[in-house]
Amino acid sequence: MTIGIGGTAIAIQTDSPEFHRLLIERYAGFVARNQPHDVELEVELFEPDDAGSDDDLQVRLHDEEWLIQRGDFHARWNASTGRGLVRQPPSPYAIDSVLRIVHSLILAKRGGFLLHGASAIRFGSAFLFAGVSGAGKTTIARLAPPDATLLTDEISYVIREQGEYYACGTPFAGELARVGENLSAPIKTVFLLEKGPDNRIEGVSEAEAVRLLLRNILFFADDGELVNRVFRSACEFANQVPVRRLIFVPDERVWNIIG
Amino acid sequence: MMIMSAVDSTFFTLNEAGTVIWQAADGRTPLSEIVARHICKEFDVTPEEAQQDAEQFVSQLSEHGILRVSDQPIADAAPAPAQTA
Repeated sequence: MTIGIGGTAIAIQTDSPEFHRLLIERYAGFVARNQPHDVELEVELFEPDDAGSDDDLQVRLHDEEWLIQRGDFHARWNASTGRGLVRQPPSPYAIDSVLRIVHSLILAKRGGFLLHGASAIRFGSAFLFAGVSGAGKTTIARLAPPDATLLTDEISYVIREQGEYYACGTPFAGELARVGENLSAPIKTVFLLEKGPDNRIEGVSEAEAVRLLLRNILFFADDGELVNRVFRSACEFANQVPVRRLIFVPDERVWNIIG
Repeated sequence: MMIMSAVDSTFFTLNEAGTVIWQAADGRTPLSEIVARHICKEFDVTPEEAQQDAEQFVSQLSEHGILRVSDQPIADAAPAPAQTA
């Protein structure tokens, strides 16, 4: 099966019909048919022992291969050939993490990034909502009116194409447990969320915007060159896309000032 | 700081105070001591308010399996089951 997110198709090969079925269900709406893939991951499943492992996540380049490992999985992926191998238990969370990490590496080279936040399309434009945990990302997504299309309540996917930034839907669901729509739209505004006594939008300096964006960008690799690229991408993004602070009361009226 | 749960791969973006608590949580130092030693000194907040917010914060992380809350030192005070991102 092939999963297409943000225009990047990742084929996943598995011998397990159960795991294949789990993937089809989990990534429904993002299963790419008749589309050539950019990445091919072979998944080998194993049964974890009871003790498990708490090993921290590591993402590093070794002999032209990305080594991606955590207590519950071990993966290697060659960005040049696009091929990789994942060893993991038959859990959706391990492959979900591998997919997020591989996408973050691909996006970093293309001037895009993954942002921890919700996003939605309204009136033809995309709006992103980021903030620290508890700031209201899930709340904003839950309060979205019928004319807004939810792209994600958890991980926003930002790509740069011909100098313009677009937000794409992702199947990476958060607390709402709702998969986003597989659509994209040009990004109009990024809102940094903060609950408050009324609904209002405040300006944010470009330097502050970069600082707050970086706090919410998902990037895992221990790689100086790519870290620099992500930093430059955040700077270029903040220079081009309005970043605002959205102070809001958690009820549906907040959406009256978004659009 | 952003942390990823190894339980269900969800992410948590921590504010400055949350980051301080996360980094100081070694399985041995009581939360009240972390609050007194770090939060009250570094942030403009009353001790009562800081303790209340800190308890709420660790309780939320605990619900997601990110931190273990215990009323005594944790013997195998290894890193919590989560990763920094």
